[in-house]
Amino acid sequence: MTEDTRMSYRPTRRRFLASAAAGAAVLSAPAILRAQGKTGTVRVWGEPGPYGGVAVEGMNEWASKNAPGLKFAIETIPWSDVYAKLMTDLAAGRPAHCISVESPIAFQLMAEGLLEPVDDLVDRIGRGRMIPGAKWEYWGAWKGKQYVIPAHHQSHLLVVRTDVLQDAGVTKSPAEWNWHDQLAAARAIKAKGKVFGMCIALGRTIATDYYVMGLLHSAGGRMFDAANKSQVVFDSPAAVETFEYIQELFPTMPPGAVGYTFLDVVDSMAKGQSGMVFYWGRVFGRAAEVDPNVFAKIEAYQHAAHPKTGKRLNWNDFQGWCIPKDNNPYVAEVKQALVHVQSSRDWQIKYAHSLVPNVSPVFQDVAQDPRLTQHPFFQTKRRTIFEYYVEALKHASNSGNELLQGISPLAGIAHGRAIVAQGVQRMLIDKQSPKDAVKWTHQQLESVRREHIRLVL
Amino acid sequence: MTRSAHASGPAPPGGAGSLPPPRRSLTDRQVAVLFLVPFALVSLVFVIYPALEAVRLAFHTKLPFRQTFTWVGLDNFRYVLADSVFWAAAQQAVVWTGASIALQTALGVALALLLNEAVRGINLFRGLLLFPYMVPTVVIALIWRWMFNPEQGIVNAGLKGAGLLRTDIYWFSDPTWAMVSTILLNVWKFTPFVVICVLARLQAIPLEIDEAARVDGAGPWQRFWHVTLPQLKTVLAVVVVFRTIWTFNKFEEIYLLTRGGPGTSTFNLAVYAFEQATANLKLGVAAATGVLMLLFLFASSAFYLRLVRQEEA
Repeated sequence: MTEDTRMSYRPTRRRFLASAAAGAAVLSAPAILRAQGKTGTVRVWGEPGPYGGVAVEGMNEWASKNAPGLKFAIETIPWSDVYAKLMTDLAAGRPAHCISVESPIAFQLMAEGLLEPVDDLVDRIGRGRMIPGAKWEYWGAWKGKQYVIPAHHQSHLLVVRTDVLQDAGVTKSPAEWNWHDQLAAARAIKAKGKVFGMCIALGRTIATDYYVMGLLHSAGGRMFDAANKSQVVFDSPAAVETFEYIQELFPTMPPGAVGYTFLDVVDSMAKGQSGMVFYWGRVFGRAAEVDPNVFAKIEAYQHAAHPKTGKRLNWNDFQGWCIPKDNNPYVAEVKQALVHVQSSRDWQIKYAHSLVPNVSPVFQDVAQDPRLTQHPFFQTKRRTIFEYYVEALKHASNSGNELLQGISPLAGIAHGRAIVAQGVQRMLIDKQSPKDAVKWTHQQLESVRREHIRLVL
Repeated sequence: MTRSAHASGPAPPGGAGSLPPPRRSLTDRQVAVLFLVPFALVSLVFVIYPALEAVRLAFHTKLPFRQTFTWVGLDNFRYVLADSVFWAAAQQAVVWTGASIALQTALGVALALLLNEAVRGINLFRGLLLFPYMVPTVVIALIWRWMFNPEQGIVNAGLKGAGLLRTDIYWFSDPTWAMVSTILLNVWKFTPFVVICVLARLQAIPLEIDEAARVDGAGPWQRFWHVTLPQLKTVLAVVVVFRTIWTFNKFEEIYLLTRGGPGTSTFNLAVYAFEQATANLKLGVAAATGVLMLLFLFASSAFYLRLVRQEEA
């Protein structure tokens, strides 16, 4: 700057306004400026589906405008290993910065005090946007605070091969089945000798727990009494009946089912090995990839009703986004990125489209957006899709929020140890009676409660 | 530097013609110690310290989320010893280790005897033998999972093709077959180690001994039993001890192949400890399991070596 120019500087109105505007911008957006200063990779954990990747694309859209030094990166964890990976990384103090996880595990994390509250995001995303039949707390609220932002809901339903049922002479619609009809259909299919009647995961995995819990809840049983400090209430006639039913179904299944986890069941249906499975919507995408003939013939129904209770309860993941609060330098950025993605109808539709009908939308405006149905699956599987998107919610349950009557943070721990699966395996592999296997399972759950009583008191 | 120091120093005694003072050199023992220092340091940091830390942990409860570390005395050991899965895992570990070592030793000695023959191209076979030993376990386990797949695997297809099998064997779904498959994998992978050790020893046995026995009219079986096998005793003792320790501690083969299932039917103690640490987050219990494994291996190795020594005496 020369002497002349210094001398020529005069405070004009335009210069004053420009300076004032710049100052106001700096003062009013400190968070954005701070974020712009941060660099690095924000690690996002997700399931091995494509939807986590889509959400991360949306987060990166936010980062490119507001925090160019940050990059959100998806890390996918195989479903069966989610719990061990989560727990060991959290224990080691190096969790991902943002986690997509099913609600029973999220409940455990929030009760342990490991998550950042996200109440400040709820109104920004839209408290009133929730689809009918669902509540924010289904995804994760504890002691009056919200800890999880809903990503999607996903239920396992009864998926059948219509051609196989026809071939087996089963004429009654699965929509009207009770447990007896389902068992009879599985036996009829198996008797034909071409494919297995039924397939569910019975391995020593979290998958088996999720299958058994759907049946248990329909039978009227539960693991914990959330209203009574999570007292263990597993040992019940309903649990024995559930185990007995699995024992009866087992001979209609692939013998390998005792080692199966999630993807084995998907492949069992998609590759034409089994006539019926319990599964989430993913099986449709997989069948479309693997065998279009199978895809053309599969349909989903609500689960068969329990003969006495009449309940058709499923397992709904209520999958959401949560933010580990410790050792997480990106809490503020993750929050802003989540608001960006969850508020954007465009990103929500892309997210739902990434795996139809597995990823059911959770916001009413998204569910009603005409673009949602502009996915090729809606042309051939419209009824099935709405079974997952809408009807399944009417029969939703999971072990973290059993019968949607209250949250127990102990369920995640029980599933992490695959306790219910181990109980079932005692019956199927070690040939214990259903009653004894139920008793053993009950004792293990008691032990979980004893060890973690601090979470519920 | 040295030169200038000498130049400025006092003249050496004895005048210009005397020998320079002898350079001080290290003794053999000092050289050996020097070479051992890096190994000792690495062992201290990566072996001894973690082992001692594990022993310390075995007497504590650690809640990783809360960063608490509480002395519990022998509680972790009591928990382990009262757990039926631990005893089942211990029993299965003995079966898995015993069967694996017996088969590896028998096959290893047999193959080494074959490879000790002076046949043209034998070096190619000796080289190929190392293949299973070189392939990473994770690759082997994945390949074996495919091979043993009941519907699409080559094992069932081969057995059916040969007329030995009518219905599919579900290798990983039946407790007995699952154990058999894990043992087979271990035998396939580690028999080459036995072969290499035995072959090295066989090649060091003087031919005259065998020839003398032959002259005395000993048949092949008698020569093996009374001449060759006694010569192999020392190397076999070492091989069996090492293979027992390694196999008993093996984790990745079982975990990758069966994950300890079906049920807990292929759990060994390493898988049990892993489950306690990761799924149950009972770090103290896992450490106590490790300490018990250490004690068991120490006792059984000492017992075995004592037996061998007694026999030699």
